Amino acid sequence: MDYILQGFVQALGYLFSGNEELWSAIITTLKVSSLSIALSLLIGVPLGFVLGHADFPGRKVCRTLVDTLLALPTVVVGLLVYAFISRRGPLGELGLLFTLPGIALGQMVLALPIVIALTASAVESLDARLSMTLLTLGAKKGQLARASLMESRYAVLMAGVTAYGRVISEVGISMMIGGNIKWHTRTITTAIALETGKGQFAEGIALGLVLLTIAFLVNGSLSLLRRRVQA
Amino acid sequence: MSTPLYELRKIQRFYGSRKALDVEHLKIKAQRVVGLVGPNGSGKSTLLRILAFLESPDQGTFLYRGGSPLSREEEYRKEVTLLLQEPYLLKRSVKENIAYGLRFRGEIGDLNLRVREALQMVGLEPENFMRRAWYQLSGGEAQRVALASRLVLRPRVLLLDEPTASVDLASAAKIKAALGEARKNWGTTLVVVSHDLQWLYEVADDVVSLYNGRIASFGPENLFAGGWKAAPLGGAELFLEDGQRVMVSEFCGEDGVASLSPDNILLAEEEPSGLSVRNALRGRISQMLYENGSGRVLVRVVAGGHPLTARLTAEAVRDLALHPGKDIWVLFKASSLRWLA
Repeated sequence: MDYILQGFVQALGYLFSGNEELWSAIITTLKVSSLSIALSLLIGVPLGFVLGHADFPGRKVCRTLVDTLLALPTVVVGLLVYAFISRRGPLGELGLLFTLPGIALGQMVLALPIVIALTASAVESLDARLSMTLLTLGAKKGQLARASLMESRYAVLMAGVTAYGRVISEVGISMMIGGNIKWHTRTITTAIALETGKGQFAEGIALGLVLLTIAFLVNGSLSLLRRRVQA
Repeated sequence: MSTPLYELRKIQRFYGSRKALDVEHLKIKAQRVVGLVGPNGSGKSTLLRILAFLESPDQGTFLYRGGSPLSREEEYRKEVTLLLQEPYLLKRSVKENIAYGLRFRGEIGDLNLRVREALQMVGLEPENFMRRAWYQLSGGEAQRVALASRLVLRPRVLLLDEPTASVDLASAAKIKAALGEARKNWGTTLVVVSHDLQWLYEVADDVVSLYNGRIASFGPENLFAGGWKAAPLGGAELFLEDGQRVMVSEFCGEDGVASLSPDNILLAEEEPSGLSVRNALRGRISQMLYENGSGRVLVRVVAGGHPLTARLTAEAVRDLALHPGKDIWVLFKASSLRWLA
């Protein structure tokens, strides 16, 4: 039990003394997760809006597919993306393996179904009176779609925050695509896995505390957004 | 003769297999105030949605300003707007809610000024309300903001579905005043669904009664729905709560709906005798309204739990010294009732 307590004390020391290795992993995590979430929002929000708003043949099949992908294991994503971006893969020439954009690509694949599914749900659950109100105010078709998306903005942001929570805590993709290279592709989660394996609990705990703080902030903003959505 | 603003001929609207609206002929003239009355499910809201170009009739001829609005709905929705029964406010500030329609139209030049004007019209202080969020409003304030977001558009036609149904008395008064101002300032045509009959008859030039999707009458109509029995001596009879009987000269089925015009009702202070009319009901006056369109007085009498409306001249009201609470006899011929369905 003592070694855990000692680990905590040491961890705080590492964090506040500005341990470079530790902070490199934190900054890498923030960089890669920000890139992946930006990409998934850019692609996922329009797709989710179309899925929730438009009526097209095969919509139900698409919806089921997206919902199924919500439960995608990170190692499977890692495996698939690895296959695509490794030298022999169709995207091998881009040289993304063991790079931050490579990890971001993998994390985007993980986050995309979450963003699409939650955006679609947000748009579907818009009050039926909204479109009638917009029409009575003189909205044209395009204005109606844009205004509907704007009306669901808090719920769409919630989708982004939820996806961010998933991305920041994943380890499989970062490990497989990034290779856990020190100073380069080592993220908080891969560092924790490595340090724990080496018996270096203090580093692991320090990084765990950072991850918990980020998770706390993410959840805090989620509950704030939820209140806005329900208002 | 000028072209009516709206003209509907043999309009039918179905929801699945249910016929929600079946209008034989209806004209609405520009700059008038038209009231729509009728029980729930009588087709009032459906009619409003058709007039607002939000729904199209399944059958019949629907004309707006003398032409078919088909494929020009987007254009016409800029001059016709509808206030829903339960207004929806966008998740924005009060100012943005009111300005939204102006932004759709690209009319953003004097946006602040127009938003302020609209707020003042509905009796909300611009300084206090412009920056408020949608969730910081009471029910009555939300309804007034929703109305302001329509008034700011200076609409040619304003359609209102129960604008005062779920608001407090003060808000209702402000809403009524704002509608009067819109009519005065811009000549806005108003089509209003309301259960506030006193107000409706006071402001409306025409009142249309709907029942079961059909126009029962132009004006307040008395309806006797269901519970009819074949009378032993011919015709049909209906027993009211207190055992009094309404008689009609033909039997048209137990579930038939008979209508009686307020013009066909006579009132008497004493129980009449030696009269040819077969219906004489004892009742009490519950309400008296001035009818703007006819310039007469509508006297509502409750007889055997059933409300009946008679249309009288002001002189007759004065001569009989009518007032709410007074006991009165209601007389009408069995042949003056007509079957609707």
